[in-house]
Amino acid sequence: MIRNIVTLTLNDLAIAFKNKTIYLILFIPFFVFFSMKLVDKADEDFKKIKIGLIQKEMYAPVILQTIKSADRVFTVSLASNEEEGKRWLKEKKIDGLLLISEKEQDAVVLVVLKKESMLTLSIVESFSALQRAVEGSSINWISDIKPLQEGGIQKQTLPTWILMLVLLVSFIIMPAQVAEEKEKKLLLALLQTPMREIEWLIAKLFLGMILILIAILSLHLLGKFDFGNVLSYVAFIGVGSFCFSSYGIFLGFLCRNQASARTLGVIFYLPHLLPSALSDFSQKLNAVAPFLPSYQFYEPVKSILLEEGGISNLSLEWIYLLLVGLLTFFFSYLLMKKRWLM
Amino acid sequence: MTLTEPVKVISGLTRITGHLMQIEINQLTKVYQEKRGLLPVNLEVEKGELIAVIGHNGAGKSTLLKMLASWLLPDNGQVLVDGINLRNRLAVVRKVGFVPETPNLFDFFSVEYNLKIFVRLFQVPFLRIEEIMKEFDLLPFRHNKIQVLSKGLRQRVSIGRALLADPPVLLFDEPTSGIDFEMTKEIYRMLKDFHISGKTIIFTSHRPEEIKTLATRVIVLHQGHLVFDGSPQKYFQSEIHEKLYQ
Repeated sequence: MIRNIVTLTLNDLAIAFKNKTIYLILFIPFFVFFSMKLVDKADEDFKKIKIGLIQKEMYAPVILQTIKSADRVFTVSLASNEEEGKRWLKEKKIDGLLLISEKEQDAVVLVVLKKESMLTLSIVESFSALQRAVEGSSINWISDIKPLQEGGIQKQTLPTWILMLVLLVSFIIMPAQVAEEKEKKLLLALLQTPMREIEWLIAKLFLGMILILIAILSLHLLGKFDFGNVLSYVAFIGVGSFCFSSYGIFLGFLCRNQASARTLGVIFYLPHLLPSALSDFSQKLNAVAPFLPSYQFYEPVKSILLEEGGISNLSLEWIYLLLVGLLTFFFSYLLMKKRWLM
Repeated sequence: MTLTEPVKVISGLTRITGHLMQIEINQLTKVYQEKRGLLPVNLEVEKGELIAVIGHNGAGKSTLLKMLASWLLPDNGQVLVDGINLRNRLAVVRKVGFVPETPNLFDFFSVEYNLKIFVRLFQVPFLRIEEIMKEFDLLPFRHNKIQVLSKGLRQRVSIGRALLADPPVLLFDEPTSGIDFEMTKEIYRMLKDFHISGKTIIFTSHRPEEIKTLATRVIVLHQGHLVFDGSPQKYFQSEIHEKLYQ
């Protein structure tokens, strides 16, 4: 039995090399890593805010003077009129445009491209700081900010990327791999040997788990991220990759060919990725997401990587993922026995 | 008798009592959603027979072969190969080799690799690969990927693979379909050699000359029913042949 499983797993890995799947597995961590590098680089370099003023506008002298003197914070551009200023804003030549307030005396209106953006927040923060410096104010109530979750943007988004990688392998690659063997009648050819159905399924599971481990390991090595509680982390990645690989194999069995497997994969991929990954930002999603296996994987990984959590506190999530994995494995076995859509 | 209605099987075979039955098919049935397939069929195949299964498209020829090869599971009935029920796949798998119409090989890999993976799964010595490649003139192509080979060569690899475990029963689904004249002759020679070596062979065909050249027995299927079972001579003299190819 072990001999057959090893043979089939090696064959599956060889197929993954030949059909370039392995390059995708390596490309995604590279892509994630370099994108994140750019995000952090932009954070490190101080960037001046480009403010636009209207030439003939009668701004309050104190505001005008403060902005012009704060040349380490602002770069000022003078537009001939409001129309030109707005055009510059759309063309991203400036980050914000100041207009005289019609409602309040000696005040300005800040025109920006998007109200809810980090850039707008940054402009408002800078103006507040300057105003405090000029007019003086009492001590801030909040003297410092201490995050519960350690690490920079790269590390904080790491669980989301890991979830994305796991789901990508499981829901996009694995169903297509299974459906391809069905479509080309390769599975039927293998079933004409003394190979047991369960051996083929275990080999496919190993393929999924190995691809997931390669992708996650590449991401960690590239970003030099630590593994938190190593044992807990490895165990959770193990059980998560088992659960989702099994899930993906099951999806592959529901399809006759690769094209339908890819479509079905995407249909399952997005509803598993988005509610879990965005659950931090929405109360409503946070109420729905726990029903998804992806959330039961995402939250523990987040806890282990960012909050020094351990596997001892995560027994429910463990059991949930294991059950989903076993259940989908069993269904795949039944479908294979019935030669479903072969 | 017309071909549109099921008829009783015309048996033109003279059976020699005491001959060993290699395959026994009892009430084998497979119905698809479109109501095609194979309706209850009974058949006995003696060791060493070379049987041509013929009939129009959708008559149930491939369905019969695919069920014998465990590609399809029957709705009803049973098949015994050397007394072992086909449902016991692991026990029967070394007894039946199947060559499908379209070779199902790992296209990305070489001829040698394709044979190697099946040698491992059959757990036969690696020496068998050399024997098969020599027997089927595949040695010059051993490192060639399947995707660059012609259909004839792929078919040769597929036949070679089916013979790795040296099964006593060989099934061929339209073995010469889409293959050039030279390769067709080559496949005829192979089938004759297998027959001489004592293997039981069942193949599906549309070609009268193939049936004349090779078969020792002809089975005609029509709309899932067995409508003729006899010798090639009887078949070509029968009105079924005329109606089939009218």
